[in-house]
Amino acid sequence: MKSMIHVRDLHKTFRVYRNHKGYLGALRNLFDRKYDLTHAVDGISFDIHPGELVGYIGPNGAGKSTTIKILTGLLVPSAGEVIANGHIPWKERKRYVRDIGAVFGQRTTLWWDLPLTDSLDLLRHIYQIPEDLYQSNFGLFREILALDHFINTPVRALSLGQRMRADLCAAFLHNPSLVFLDEPTIGLDVIAKRRIREFIQYINQERHTTILLTTHDISDIARLCERVMIIDHGRILFNGKLADLLETFGGRRLLNVEFAEEYPSPTLDGADIIYRNGVNIHYSFQRRSVSASALIRRLSENYRIKDLSVEDQPIEDTIREIYENRLLYYDTDDE
Amino acid sequence: MSPFLATIRTSFRRQLTYRAANISGLLTNLMFAFFRASVLIALFNEREAVNGLTVQGAVTYAGLTQTLIGYLSFFHWFDMMQTVYDGQIGADLLRPLNFFTYWLGIDIGRAFGALLIRSLPLFLVFALFYNITLPGSFLQWLAFILSIFFALLISFSWRFMVNLAAFWTPNALGIGRFVFGMSWTFSGFFLPLALFPRWLAQFARLTPFGAGVYIPIEIFLGLITGKELLQGILIQVFWIILLLLLDQWILSRGVRKLVIQGG
Amino acid sequence: MIHALRLLARMYRVQIHSQLQYPLSFIMDLLSSALILGFFFVAFALTLTRFESIGGWTLGEVAFIWGITEFSFGTMDMVFSGFDYDSFGPIIRKGQFDQLLLRPANITLQVLGSRFVIRRLGRMAEGLLIFLFGLSRIQLDWSLLKILYVPLLSISQILFFGSLFIIGATTTFWTMERLEILNIFTYGGAEVMSYPMHIFPRPIRMIFTYLVPSIFLSYFPAVYLLGKPDPLNAPAFVSFLAPVIAMLMLWLALRFWRFGIRNYQSSGS
Repeated sequence: MKSMIHVRDLHKTFRVYRNHKGYLGALRNLFDRKYDLTHAVDGISFDIHPGELVGYIGPNGAGKSTTIKILTGLLVPSAGEVIANGHIPWKERKRYVRDIGAVFGQRTTLWWDLPLTDSLDLLRHIYQIPEDLYQSNFGLFREILALDHFINTPVRALSLGQRMRADLCAAFLHNPSLVFLDEPTIGLDVIAKRRIREFIQYINQERHTTILLTTHDISDIARLCERVMIIDHGRILFNGKLADLLETFGGRRLLNVEFAEEYPSPTLDGADIIYRNGVNIHYSFQRRSVSASALIRRLSENYRIKDLSVEDQPIEDTIREIYENRLLYYDTDDE
Repeated sequence: MSPFLATIRTSFRRQLTYRAANISGLLTNLMFAFFRASVLIALFNEREAVNGLTVQGAVTYAGLTQTLIGYLSFFHWFDMMQTVYDGQIGADLLRPLNFFTYWLGIDIGRAFGALLIRSLPLFLVFALFYNITLPGSFLQWLAFILSIFFALLISFSWRFMVNLAAFWTPNALGIGRFVFGMSWTFSGFFLPLALFPRWLAQFARLTPFGAGVYIPIEIFLGLITGKELLQGILIQVFWIILLLLLDQWILSRGVRKLVIQGG
Repeated sequence: MIHALRLLARMYRVQIHSQLQYPLSFIMDLLSSALILGFFFVAFALTLTRFESIGGWTLGEVAFIWGITEFSFGTMDMVFSGFDYDSFGPIIRKGQFDQLLLRPANITLQVLGSRFVIRRLGRMAEGLLIFLFGLSRIQLDWSLLKILYVPLLSISQILFFGSLFIIGATTTFWTMERLEILNIFTYGGAEVMSYPMHIFPRPIRMIFTYLVPSIFLSYFPAVYLLGKPDPLNAPAFVSFLAPVIAMLMLWLALRFWRFGIRNYQSSGS
């Protein structure tokens, strides 16, 4: 199957100039510019197929936004190959951009002072969207994203959640084949997040739009993406199914016990105590090493238990461990 | 150190850090000084003096006015109304200092910073290119320095008053632009008032801008001395008192309105 | 191409619409700019009555060139204000320039269309009035060539000033600071161009001939149009260079602008 996005050996190196201080320093800056090199993207390769909804995660400064900027044509790479939707993004800007959409959580894609409906109308003309397509899309998105309430409000007066919904509408209005979503749920409450996730899922399933989702919210990924890529220090650490990732590195579970009385040291073979408050103790254990039932049996042999529950370690913690403990040292190419 | 002085010092230091802006501003003012001086020289066209103003005095005038622009910031100041519009004023009013003196302190610091880093060098460079008139006596210098300090107070009080419009209307920016523009024209900053027809010059002298800005220049050039000089200073004092009182009164009304209506 | 222009017109229309939302503000701004700038001329005119002429030019003659320059500058300021630092600076600072790159439309057009300040009509009207005032006070030998050259000169001036704005906006890619120095050539240039330039000392004239060729867009054409003697003794053809120089400046400005965009894309702002 032909890739929607094909990235081979991509590099982007930045010069970070050192600034001299003071008045004399300002003069020195003109003649003697010293700089350090930052490898924001240090040789990454991957393929994304049409219709996929892929998550792209990594700690801050990992190289996510640099990658996205290159993929959207905003940035020219230092080396490497990118073919997206049949184009080289930064070379064939206008033609490429006509068939993609983008949402940036941190800033809006719309015009600040214009009412939302005027903004969308202007976009209609910029993207040359046929009248009937515009009407049907607009009508549909209006309903799903509940835009009616603020359709005439200037974008600058919208709340964050409203603005995000407006940006989403704008990004998909012209039926792009490929869409980049950069932090689309940042700063939103749970209800807003759910609404946006549902919209993204709907579009991906109904229209088979290829979507690359960058986010810090792991539950976004968990709910939406089958496939995830992890980047850190400019390198791709993982590129595969989220389930596989959790299988390999997740597997930490919590056993939360409420004892009938307070035991001085209720140790448990095969598990670590990670929380203690009177009769409430939380144990952490590896699924691979021991089963929950075995642990419960051991506990009940030695202690009297009032109540207990078992839960999976939150995905966030798994991902955090991967970042912090640098559990992935190798580059993976595409399968 | 009192909070007032501390405000001045902080603002002064901050002004000094705006290196690029100060240098750009300096160069711009310098060029305009050259332009205006050239126009005046061409106008005079070999004449010695017109209406008491010599060619040299006119050229000095061109340099001096450009020098004082950065210092007085007469024609462009919307900082206070911005804080009303973006809500920052809420935090400022909660602070335990006098709102008016707070802004006054900031402006004095800014002005002294601009004086040091923009005005002085500008005038010195200008003096390299042209023969200029300088105050003859120590007393004249003293009067000039006093007078430009008063001019700053007038300029600030006036600008502050215009900004107070923000308490009542969302159009204060447009009003400000208009009023500041008018101030500009009547301040005698473009051409010396001595060259204007008498009626226009009289009118301009009656306005706070004419008094605030033009009187120091007249002192510097020696156009007014003795009794007239004293009169000039007194006119400045009059305007300072009037504008300060107006500012206090309008400000209190404005704050009350803000607090009641929660603007 | 047609589509692009229609888009630009649409963007302008949106701007106009939103500015007219506050008619009171708009009228006041319009009047204020017209009055304030007009007053400059009035002040000058009143002063000139004491002196008969400046550099050998009468009030009417000065008004002639002053008016055309004001009109052109006002028009330029209305059309090119997307490139004005006050407008373009925030676009770069707030990272909104990326949005322009993400839309399937010409970048230059998008910047042009991003702002259209109709209150500049005030300056345009003021310029026109001063020009008409000047016309009323002078006796010209009108020829067809002269009649055609006046609007051509104005258009050249508009493109010339526009080029300076474009250059100024391009520098914003590298320095976030406002380059006030450029004001010397835009606003200062407009002021210098409103007078008979031979009154300025040689260094200033050199700057406005060889660094920024303002002299070819005001003084020399005016010398021809008004039939004035030229103390600078330039050859006659320089009076007709205005359109050529304007086109050249525009071309250079756009090249520089394009270079700036390419640089923005490789350094990632």
